[in-house]
Amino acid sequence: MASAAQPSLAASLKIQRRVLAALLVRELLTRYGRHNIGFLWLFVEPMMFTLGVTALWTATKSAHGSDLPIVAFALTGYSSVLLWRNMPGRCIGALEANLSLMYHRNIRALDIYMARIMIEFSGATISFFTLALVFILSGWLDPPEDFLTVAAGWMMIAWFGAVLAITLGALSHEYELVDKFWHPASYLLFPLSGAAFLVSALPPFAREIVLYIPMVHGVEMIREGFFGSKVQAIYDPGYVLACSLVLSVAALILVRWVEKRLTPQ
Amino acid sequence: MIAVENISKDYRTRTGPRRVLDNVNFTLHKGERLGVLGRNGAGKSTLIRLVSGAERPTSGQITRGMSVSWPLAFGGAFQSQLTGVDNVRFISRLYAQDPEHNLAFIEEFAELGQYLREPVMTYSSGMRARLAFAISMIIEFDCFLIDEIASVGDARFHERCNYELFDKRGDRAMMIISHDPGYLRDHCNRFAVLDAGRLTAFDDFETAHDHFLAQMRVREPVRAVAQPFSRRMAAIDSLRRVAHEDEHFMALVRQADAARDRHDWAAAEASYAAALSLHPYERSYWVQLGHVTREQGRMVRAEIAYRTACAFGESVRVLEPFIAAVEQPGKAAPAIPVAAPDGGETRRQPPGYPDLAVLAALAQGRDRLGDDEALALMRRQDGIEDVLAHMLDDPSTTASGAALPGGIAVVPGDAPLRIEWREDLARLAGARQEELDAALARGDELFHALRRSGGLDGWAVPAASRAEASA
Repeated sequence: MASAAQPSLAASLKIQRRVLAALLVRELLTRYGRHNIGFLWLFVEPMMFTLGVTALWTATKSAHGSDLPIVAFALTGYSSVLLWRNMPGRCIGALEANLSLMYHRNIRALDIYMARIMIEFSGATISFFTLALVFILSGWLDPPEDFLTVAAGWMMIAWFGAVLAITLGALSHEYELVDKFWHPASYLLFPLSGAAFLVSALPPFAREIVLYIPMVHGVEMIREGFFGSKVQAIYDPGYVLACSLVLSVAALILVRWVEKRLTPQ
Repeated sequence: MIAVENISKDYRTRTGPRRVLDNVNFTLHKGERLGVLGRNGAGKSTLIRLVSGAERPTSGQITRGMSVSWPLAFGGAFQSQLTGVDNVRFISRLYAQDPEHNLAFIEEFAELGQYLREPVMTYSSGMRARLAFAISMIIEFDCFLIDEIASVGDARFHERCNYELFDKRGDRAMMIISHDPGYLRDHCNRFAVLDAGRLTAFDDFETAHDHFLAQMRVREPVRAVAQPFSRRMAAIDSLRRVAHEDEHFMALVRQADAARDRHDWAAAEASYAAALSLHPYERSYWVQLGHVTREQGRMVRAEIAYRTACAFGESVRVLEPFIAAVEQPGKAAPAIPVAAPDGGETRRQPPGYPDLAVLAALAQGRDRLGDDEALALMRRQDGIEDVLAHMLDDPSTTASGAALPGGIAVVPGDAPLRIEWREDLARLAGARQEELDAALARGDELFHALRRSGGLDGWAVPAASRAEASA
């Protein structure tokens, strides 16, 4: 039965879970289908990206301003890029592709974003985790010194990426320029996001500028968790949390705003 | 209960907000079936989307005290890359139902066979419609929203849909939108008319229908753009399409068909005649007009109607027995052969009654023809140009530039006069419409104006010069 007006909170949560589960399966099937390895592509694809970049950086012996092994550096750096970059990429234009779902009253715009964010988050996380495990077992990488700091840094990037994704997704429904600008912006942010340098290796004035970018703090945290004593990490969790909180509120307001303007076909 | 209170809906356009629904109010209780009539663009689909909750009103409130379906037979919610099975599973999960149980029902009901396991994008539109309807039936809603279900699938499937929906689920609330009054009359017990965003409720079907027709009448009619077709049959074919897009015309013929079906021949004749006055070249309704006048014993009019249908391209073989029956009861074949178009130049084609009326207006400035006179002209089997020459030779022809009639009768009897007859004339004579209008606005005599705008080119109309010379 479809729900009647004003169900209780518990009932609402149950509906919410059901809707997200249904949307997740639908998204996974639509994106990856049942051919060859199917939904394993979810994390095989980001793994291929990370492996490729790691191989490239190793081959060119990229300078990164520290004596960390390049494999470790590339893995932590590029995995975080995938995390914050793919979520907005998938949420921009997500509503247009799913407008007809709005005929099911239990599905809200936020659910469509949440489903896509969850898929991107799982893909990036499984890929990061698997690669780290493989590298550790094969001796290219030391196990993280402080697993919790790694996890905290990862979650901070994920939170910021998720709310950025919802904000840009909602805005993209009204302003198609968002889509046009996001591609160059994400490309330019990649080298600035801390993936390719340690903040401590930068000159002081550059440090100050770079630390305005929230992702940098997360990457620094991950590196501290992994390498601890071997690097000097510079970050301010409070700054990222404040940014994410403000953006979260903005994202929720924008989703409500855009929902009023939806016209399903 | 569903309560719709003061809802309005604006859409943003480049030229500012456009109000699609304006302060709409109604309530719907269990067991009530509300039929909403409206023209295309009246806001019907917007209303159903708002009630379904897919879209938010700009202002006002909708309270849903029961579960409401999505607009039925709507196939858009499919993910076309996914298979039918996956789509069924998705909907089942969404509404907390057992997917496998639903699949069994859908396999049986939608009759898609192996296609159910193929991506929906490989389906034909009929298969999609069947799957969409079947999926709509697996969720037991208290209220169904139905958008023009009449168009779903073939007749057999349609019958099963009607049974599932109106019989097995006859106790539910329903809201049905349509521009087909007959469909609503058969399935609804409450009626409303939506026009320009405003909803007016009615207690019974007849008043709602009258209101709907009255609103059609005040609209600008759909008019054909006079393309200078050189072949008459191509022109007639495109004019029929124009007629079918004119909702007023379609409403009139539906009304006429309904009257015919209950053997109210006089009412049917009046409605067909009114429809044909709007679009005189929709030949199939000349056949119907022939039938309903024959039933009333008006044999001359019936013969005129049948011969007009043939002149406009209806099958002579099919209509000959009818013509014979009204011409000389008891005979198997018409004594006077029936003229049919041969696809050649317009001026050599046989005239239908509207052509005769237009020619009489042109040659003699008259606004109507007598039935016997018209039938005599048709039986002569002349082409259009010869008929015109004959009319000009008639001593009663007014040689002076008499005032042109404002409207003429293009259907025998007392149907409304056709104001746009000059468009028919321009098309008949092959004149360029705008130039003709301009010449007439300058005060040119009609023949003169026709020739100056490229009309009557190659026509053998010797006597025309007399009228022209004296103008």
